[in-house]
Amino acid sequence: MTAMWRLGPAWQDEARLAKAWREAEPFPHLVFEDVVADEDMAALFEIVEDEPVDRYEGDILAFDATAPEAVTEAMRGLRDEFSAVLAPALARITGKAVRRADMRAYAYRVGHYLLPHADHQDGLGRALAFAYYLPSPEPPVGGELELFRCTLADGELVATIPDRRIAPRGNRLVVFDVSDVSLHQVCEVLGGLRISLAGWFYP
Amino acid sequence: MTTLDELFAGRAATIVPEAIGPTVAAELRARLAPRYARYELRDRGSYEIATNVDEPAVFAALGDLAHQVTGRTLAVFEARAVRLGPGDYLLAHHDRPDDDVPVELMLDLSPASVPGAEVHYRQRGKVYFRVASRPGSLSVVERGPTVTCNHTYVSQRHAGASVVRLIVRLRDAAHTANERSPQR
Repeated sequence: MTAMWRLGPAWQDEARLAKAWREAEPFPHLVFEDVVADEDMAALFEIVEDEPVDRYEGDILAFDATAPEAVTEAMRGLRDEFSAVLAPALARITGKAVRRADMRAYAYRVGHYLLPHADHQDGLGRALAFAYYLPSPEPPVGGELELFRCTLADGELVATIPDRRIAPRGNRLVVFDVSDVSLHQVCEVLGGLRISLAGWFYP
Repeated sequence: MTTLDELFAGRAATIVPEAIGPTVAAELRARLAPRYARYELRDRGSYEIATNVDEPAVFAALGDLAHQVTGRTLAVFEARAVRLGPGDYLLAHHDRPDDDVPVELMLDLSPASVPGAEVHYRQRGKVYFRVASRPGSLSVVERGPTVTCNHTYVSQRHAGASVVRLIVRLRDAAHTANERSPQR
């Protein structure tokens, strides 16, 4: 496989990115554009389309997704290259010693959503979360990543205020912190199709 | 040997269609309307709630229906109403499990059916009973320590939708009387 993922000029000033990470509101996150070259996009779609997809439904979610563990060799290669290219830079920028990532493909169709939750769960080791949006043949209406500002009192959550919405623009990568207060959701898709690769970085 | 699942299978989970007429439902909605407060800890739920609902005539009628379904002599110990609009939901981990086996009645007071707006009863996380949006209907569920319940997300595609549910919990009458006696 040729190198799919690239760290463009936006990644060169790591000190500036580290500052942006620390100061991001409502919790640390970064947004990168154009992380896959246009000429590689067809190959990326080919890999994703070969991966089997199932429907997932729960009280907080409704979407189509690939299995937690990649089925095809090409998808595993895509994930491994993503980890190899991004983890070292993200470790330096965020101060979290991440080394590897998992990755699933998601398709949010009309009516699909992922309600507010924090990804942190004891024992899972999730350090950073990411979502990469593929250019959709039917650009989605809705489907934004929404970040919440959480207020704690005596360790208990007492307020959750919607703070920032990040549109699922094609070829955009969002990386955000995983903690008890990194509350976020995928807003309901009201039209079109939202396609993404998402997962977590681990130590 | 009797397993927990076998014990569970004997419990009631049913729907009584047309338990209440549209006129009475509208009157109840009107009485509840000024009492709602917004709940919005978004990792648990987003909805409006009216607590300590007191509707003796309605409770008496619902108690009779619950008795017919369960065969138990029951008394109300808690009643509240929830109202959900587009974008609202109530998650399972926000629900309160019970140590005993109360009966939960859910009366659908919605002015109109809302597609996909359901109540899901779960045993150890797995859905075993779905209550669809059907104005006038009543669900009767004997709950237990492993049962939780969630109100599904109401799609924002249904502009103006309003889901109204009166939730009444009952326990065996003797149990409820004993609980209340120290307060007398």
